[in-house]
Amino acid sequence: MKILSLFISPLLALIIGLLFLGISRKITAKIHWRCGPPVYQPLIDVIRSFSQKSISHGAFFDFGIILSLSSSVVLIYFLPVGDLYAMTSGGLIAFLYLMLLGPFGIALSSAASGNPNSSIGVSRKFLLALAYEVPLLLVLLTVMTHYNTISLVEIVNIQAGTGMAFSSWALVLPGIAYFLILPAVLGVRPFEIVSAPQEISSGPVAEFGGKHLAFYTLQHALQLFVGLALFVNIFLGGGTLFGLLNPIAGTVWATILGIIIFLVKMFIVLVIELFINAVYPRFRIEQAMRYLWKWPTLIAFVGLVIVAILN
Amino acid sequence: MSLELLIMFAFGGAFLTYLAGKISSKLRDIFALLCSVALVVIVSSLYKVETTITLYNGFFGMPLSMRLNPMAWFFAIAIVSSSALVVLYSMSYMKHRERTDYYYFMLLLINAAMLAIVLSGDLVSFFISWEIMSWSTFLLISYNRNAALPAGIKYIVMSLIGSMCMLVGIISIYTAFDTITISEIVQHMATATAGYKLFLLIIFSITFGIKNAVVPLHTWLPDAYAESPSPFSAVLSGMLTRMGIFGFLLIMFVMVGAENSLHMGRGFFSYHNILAWLGAITIVIPTFIAMLQNDAKKLLAWHGIGQGGYMIVGIAFGTSLGLAGGIFHTLNHAIYIILLFLSVGAIEYSTNGLRDLNSLGGLFKKMPIAFLGGLLGICGLIGIPLTNGFVSKWLIYKTLILGKAPFLAFATLLGTWGTILSVYKFLHNLYLGQLPQEHQNIKKTPLAMQIPIVILSLTILVFGILPGLPLKSINAMIVSFGFTPLTVSIWGISSETGTLNMINIFSILLVVVAIFWLIFQAARKSTAVDQYDNYAAGAAIPKDKYNYTVEFYAPFYRMATPYLRDIFDMLYQKIARFTEFACDNIRKIYTGYVSDYIIYIILFLALLISAQLKWSVF
Amino acid sequence: MDRNQISKWFKNPGKMANKYSFHVVYFCTGCGIIEIPPSITTRWDAERFGIIPVATPRQANLFLITGYVSTKTLKAIIRTYEQMPEPKYTVAFGSCPINGGMYYDSYNTITSLDKYIPVDGYIAGCMPRPEAIFIGVTHLWKLIDMDKADGYKRYRRDYKFYRANQEQLFKELGWPPLFKDASL
Repeated sequence: MKILSLFISPLLALIIGLLFLGISRKITAKIHWRCGPPVYQPLIDVIRSFSQKSISHGAFFDFGIILSLSSSVVLIYFLPVGDLYAMTSGGLIAFLYLMLLGPFGIALSSAASGNPNSSIGVSRKFLLALAYEVPLLLVLLTVMTHYNTISLVEIVNIQAGTGMAFSSWALVLPGIAYFLILPAVLGVRPFEIVSAPQEISSGPVAEFGGKHLAFYTLQHALQLFVGLALFVNIFLGGGTLFGLLNPIAGTVWATILGIIIFLVKMFIVLVIELFINAVYPRFRIEQAMRYLWKWPTLIAFVGLVIVAILN
Repeated sequence: MSLELLIMFAFGGAFLTYLAGKISSKLRDIFALLCSVALVVIVSSLYKVETTITLYNGFFGMPLSMRLNPMAWFFAIAIVSSSALVVLYSMSYMKHRERTDYYYFMLLLINAAMLAIVLSGDLVSFFISWEIMSWSTFLLISYNRNAALPAGIKYIVMSLIGSMCMLVGIISIYTAFDTITISEIVQHMATATAGYKLFLLIIFSITFGIKNAVVPLHTWLPDAYAESPSPFSAVLSGMLTRMGIFGFLLIMFVMVGAENSLHMGRGFFSYHNILAWLGAITIVIPTFIAMLQNDAKKLLAWHGIGQGGYMIVGIAFGTSLGLAGGIFHTLNHAIYIILLFLSVGAIEYSTNGLRDLNSLGGLFKKMPIAFLGGLLGICGLIGIPLTNGFVSKWLIYKTLILGKAPFLAFATLLGTWGTILSVYKFLHNLYLGQLPQEHQNIKKTPLAMQIPIVILSLTILVFGILPGLPLKSINAMIVSFGFTPLTVSIWGISSETGTLNMINIFSILLVVVAIFWLIFQAARKSTAVDQYDNYAAGAAIPKDKYNYTVEFYAPFYRMATPYLRDIFDMLYQKIARFTEFACDNIRKIYTGYVSDYIIYIILFLALLISAQLKWSVF
Repeated sequence: MDRNQISKWFKNPGKMANKYSFHVVYFCTGCGIIEIPPSITTRWDAERFGIIPVATPRQANLFLITGYVSTKTLKAIIRTYEQMPEPKYTVAFGSCPINGGMYYDSYNTITSLDKYIPVDGYIAGCMPRPEAIFIGVTHLWKLIDMDKADGYKRYRRDYKFYRANQEQLFKELGWPPLFKDASL
């Protein structure tokens, strides 16, 4: 299974990630009363980018973006999609740290291009990351303390026995906090500060064209996938649905159905996020930080205190 | 090979280097390098040797002894190898400075004193070496004069307070147990009362807390790091400050003993818990203050304080996993902070002393090796997977989360995420972005400065991918403290509560990077352009300076600057000023007139007489 | 998508993707820019053809020049065009880039854009309606299919000519020639 998932997981994540990007464009268009592009439009964009002749600001400019995409793929290996996962080493902490590597690679690459717009974008990205990491770390610590494990797979497995994490009342507050910060984690509209095209010429990717842009788009798709999948894994019970698959557990069908359930859950979360995304304007960075450090942090902190007292 | 030879080499080498400098500077450089390399060889040949020797028996009837055990060996090898690299680096860095004989003498003397500290088997020789180290450090911190003088004085005042505390502790131990040999103190400690043990812990914690810069005793550190010459800043931050960690290990787990020091007090108000919380504060506040710094070395200095907090948290939590994490982090911190200081030093060397984060940029094309060092150094500092910092931080986080201390874990994790911001600013403002015109033709980095940077960069990766190498000898140390050993393999840690396998992550990442690199190469080839072919809304790029460096995190600065001040430093400064003021006024009683002094005497006698009449004290 | 389309996709995916994914630099040169907001928003919705505006020329493959081109703007237009990755297409919008339009005798407006950068197609009119943009885009599709939208190739081939014209107008361009072998 692990060997198989080494090949399947990244492909699945790339396809689903690109599809989700397309779907999000389509749904946003529908909310705007537009027709919108076909759902496979991101794929066309990626092919177009690959066919174009890019410019390069040196070896480091190339290395950063390759590192970023590769680390996102490695991240997928850590992420249980239903029963599919390849690695568990290091658990959720290693996962959190590997999540750093993607933005870090892009930050290095774009700073090597020497464009001030990119630098502003990266500065915003790290500030935004600091802003949402505070509640995110509180939430993840709550979950890890509650289940007394640092393994992502184990967290999912425990939920498979008890239903979703939401059904355990101690994790309701962290779940709400995570949902409130999810747009910031995904970097969508109210928090689209990093790559604001109108202000800072799409920020870190200002100098990316051709294959660099294609790599960035793929990385963005994977990032979307990871952000949604982490939420589904931690709070919505991963690829299980209240023991629905228990009668056929262990068979290939259970695995496939588990993945489908997982993807459906991700899709639902994405659509709810899109409803927020489509109608909101952009925050300024100060407003975003103030928001993220106020309500989500407060809720997450109360959640952690409750769990700490319970234990 | 024995300990006497080692100590002789260390101290004798320092003196002989000074004398050699009087003959020729080339001879001195080579002698100093040979001497420090010889120390590395001797110490590494002593691996797994445990001995005790008596150096001198007549010190008021007390034996001065040296002993070698896993803990001493671990610190000794770190000291001598970092010192050898720094001496090699100094050969180019200090070439055209004045008073270089004195510099090398002090550098090697500090090295010898640190060796003597970790090898000392009794508290008196410990104290003597500690004082040699403190005083020579003071001399080297103020080596650059000007701004360095107040920094040195600040250091030496705080260091003296620490030494006095230690002296009080040693005297009280001598009066209580009638011995100063550490191994005998351990046996006597079983009979001591809990209150006395707590007294010892606290009084030694002040000493070591000052040396390790635990908040609120950290205020000497930022100025001292920033103002001393860069290679010495590296020694100072890498090993010298971490003598505090050695001290904490000595007092908590050797002298007082783990079973005592971890059960001192009750609930939250226990000694080790409060120490852990101080460690957590040490992580968070300095890390965020570091974000505001505009001086590259000062930024690193604040991180030096912050990273010290991780070690304290790991050690104070007192499980074998946490202890391993804390000690491993000490080693890792030494590696990457030395690397970072050397990298900044290379820039200082090339740009004639510039280290202002606002006026540099784009140097990665001109100084690739120094850039590599800076990049891997900050990766280690953040704890990016596959660098050494990740493993030790992982151990600490895991201890805290599974040890039901989520708030401590939150503080440590938050510190890491704050670190990312400031070190990225460090890397970006120095190396990345546009290269200003004035730095187009800077001096090249000499080979003697490149070699240590390359060695340290490789070490970061090797310890990150194969953490078992150092963890094995750390394991031996933990066992000698009486903890259960960890199950360490060469590539990581396996335990029933989650394994860490770095070679696994490394190989997967390597394969994926290789695949994407191939795809990248197979795709349409890209045109190489220079930094002036850049998007600027259709305009040509200005040649002099086109960088986003000043106020890099401007929105955050606006929000946080009022809260991020070093209140302890301000408090101490206020106390110092008040003392100065008070003493200045008291001095005024010395008027110089004999009649005034006679009046003082008469008044004093009158006071005594009236006291005698009233209370009949005498 | 009919069967014909699919076989074209397999034959030359890069060309097809370039057709259906126009990332556009809308250069706000003149009055024509006023027609762009309705065409990319709800009323006419350019995104259904895969057309979206991007912020930097590095990511774009279509350059839409909207309205008259003053000499000062021309400098930025040349720079932007040179920074776009190949293959790239230029469409000039309105009568002014063709022959100067109502500014034919202005002292600081150029009369013929084609002298400075290659233009793949013109949308004439003053002003053309948004529908005209879409008609222009479908024409561009046909041109790409027939390999006739070769402005970027012409620029490479006749770079000496273009650079000479540019340098005749501006004494100091501020950047070195794009192609090294075409030095003057």
